[in-house]
Amino acid sequence: MKLRSLVFVLLALCLSPVLSVSAQENVTLGVVMPFTGALGSFGSDFVRGVELAVAQMNAELEAAGSATRFVTASADTEGTPDGAARAVQTVVQTTGANVIVGPLTTSEVLGAKQYADENGVVLVAPASSGPAGGIPDDNIFRVMYPPDIFSAKAYARIAVSRGYQNVAILNLDDPYGNGLADRFQIEFAAAGGGDTTRITYTPDPPDLSSEMARLSADVASLSESGETAVLCVCFLGDAQKALQLALVDPLLGTVDWIGNEAMTSAELLEDAGVAAFLQNANLVTVGAYSTETPLSSRFAESFAEHFDNPPGPFTNYAFDAANIAMLSILAAGNDGAAVKSMLPFISGHYIGTTVQGLLDENGDQAVAWYSIYQVNADGTDFESVGLYNGSADSLEISG
Amino acid sequence: MPPALLITSLVHSIQVGSLYALMALGITLTMRVIRLPNFAHAEFVSAGAFAALVVSIFLSRSPVVILACATLSGAAVALLSHLLVFRPMSRRKLSTYAMLLVSFAVGLILRYILFVLSDSYQLFDKRIQIPMQILVRESFIVLTNFTLTIVPVSIACVMALALLLARTALGREMRALASNPELAHILGMRVERIRSLTWLLTGATAGLAGALWGLYTFVNPLLGWLAILPVFAAAILGGLSSFTGTILGAYLVAFCENTLMQALNHYTGLTFSFKAAIPFVIIILVLLLRPQGLTGFLRQNRNIER
Repeated sequence: MKLRSLVFVLLALCLSPVLSVSAQENVTLGVVMPFTGALGSFGSDFVRGVELAVAQMNAELEAAGSATRFVTASADTEGTPDGAARAVQTVVQTTGANVIVGPLTTSEVLGAKQYADENGVVLVAPASSGPAGGIPDDNIFRVMYPPDIFSAKAYARIAVSRGYQNVAILNLDDPYGNGLADRFQIEFAAAGGGDTTRITYTPDPPDLSSEMARLSADVASLSESGETAVLCVCFLGDAQKALQLALVDPLLGTVDWIGNEAMTSAELLEDAGVAAFLQNANLVTVGAYSTETPLSSRFAESFAEHFDNPPGPFTNYAFDAANIAMLSILAAGNDGAAVKSMLPFISGHYIGTTVQGLLDENGDQAVAWYSIYQVNADGTDFESVGLYNGSADSLEISG
Repeated sequence: MPPALLITSLVHSIQVGSLYALMALGITLTMRVIRLPNFAHAEFVSAGAFAALVVSIFLSRSPVVILACATLSGAAVALLSHLLVFRPMSRRKLSTYAMLLVSFAVGLILRYILFVLSDSYQLFDKRIQIPMQILVRESFIVLTNFTLTIVPVSIACVMALALLLARTALGREMRALASNPELAHILGMRVERIRSLTWLLTGATAGLAGALWGLYTFVNPLLGWLAILPVFAAAILGGLSSFTGTILGAYLVAFCENTLMQALNHYTGLTFSFKAAIPFVIIILVLLLRPQGLTGFLRQNRNIER
């Protein structure tokens, strides 16, 4: 009898860790981001933002005595629509994840959309903003970062307020670039603007010499009928290539420039020649307004503490998207359909690192504030010179 | 088309064509002597560009030092790839298709090493630190110190390589090995030495081309890979065997991408998004209509001249 009791005690002791582990319920939060390709550095940083959110959430769940823990499973989209579809499929099939943070760009989001919709998987995209992604009643939620229908209005308002009659556009030939340029042309015409021309270029161009030569010719032609500006809708690497060519062009330095958010980068200004060019070109850029919330500095400090590096651009959006996804799962359960139904409510009541996550009928961020930036007097960084309120369509600019 | 646009596009064609020629010659050399369509060539180009970038940031801003280091780095990466991967694989008597896949694998490994290094040391999309000076800026033509470095250096290297192959003992040995490896072996040629030197030369030209391409654009781990398709189109136009054909092919591809594309855009409204399709179209047309590329045409002309 004593022996039997001893065996039971020993068995109980041996099994106790296993039992406590099996009592813990692990919920997989998928993460699909570009880890390779031109946007690879963004993807790597975004994943760190998600990991930080998961670590903080797990610590809180443990302290509260909850059995739920979140684990992440990530896959590389390679920055392409096909790659995004494969990545979502891989994460879902290998881990059973129902909710995924990502992908990054609108073209990747659209690439993964069909699989997500057909399989009831919810995608919480933290930085996709192309108008083409604004589709009602699908499984895609584009939280925190406002869609480009607002920024296109901001560009049009800036162009008109600065007296540009014509605009020559250089844009990336993908859903983001085309969507933004299309909307800009509509808004510019509606606001009383004159002619526009479009030069599109393929993603990851080896060089942009033909495109920039054509842009220069367009500027020459448009300038004959009134004041003309250039609108550049490019990723940072492409903008660097474009500016390198614009620097030496006899015409492109004589007109004003407007740039998208990717151009609001101090990295561009590391080249003194480019910095001087952008100052002379009175470059204004439009970027999502970073309001300070109680979470802003806490996020930056925690990130630096965890990863020994400050967070990269937009990483806070991935952190917020992960929090919205996890809170929705905790509220509705780990089920795609339930999360789809619950997420807009959770997001609308979530104050993130920059802004409230209120969503519109397309599941896109509805609160849209933009800062207007210009190169500072030293040519070393960008400074805010104005504000655009997307909801009220009001612009205040001092530059 | 406005004359200024035409002249600008022609200048770009010459500039880009010179760079394509330098890159494509390495591919043709590997194809002829090693009998390998080497896709890892793209990463030899990227390695050269990164070497130039790192040297320009940390060591020296002298163009001569930067270009020399890039050349040496490209050569070293190519030789190491040969010694560690291609030579052991070729000793297993793998088919050309298998070796082609091996070259893809080597390229991928090198590319991701560059990605990891770029990420760790913040080297994404950086410019090689040589200050640009504008020498001529008119409405119809712009010349910078980069133009006057890239074009003459590329052309000089292409000519030096062509001379080396045509006029030196090493060149003769390379050509002999290319036309009949068994006979070259029986005749007592040091086949392995020639192969190693071929890899060194290929890597050196690729490394130099990478530095010059990096000067022309920006340095990132995809630099070589993004340029490789037009470079292969140039090599295929040269029949993958003729050096003269490859050089002509390089300028022809660059002309199509710049001047022809500009004309199509101007006269038909075709957008520049189709520029990336031009090398594909050239490759398909050549393979369909003239698989020997410009080689046959060049030989015919030489015979007529004689």
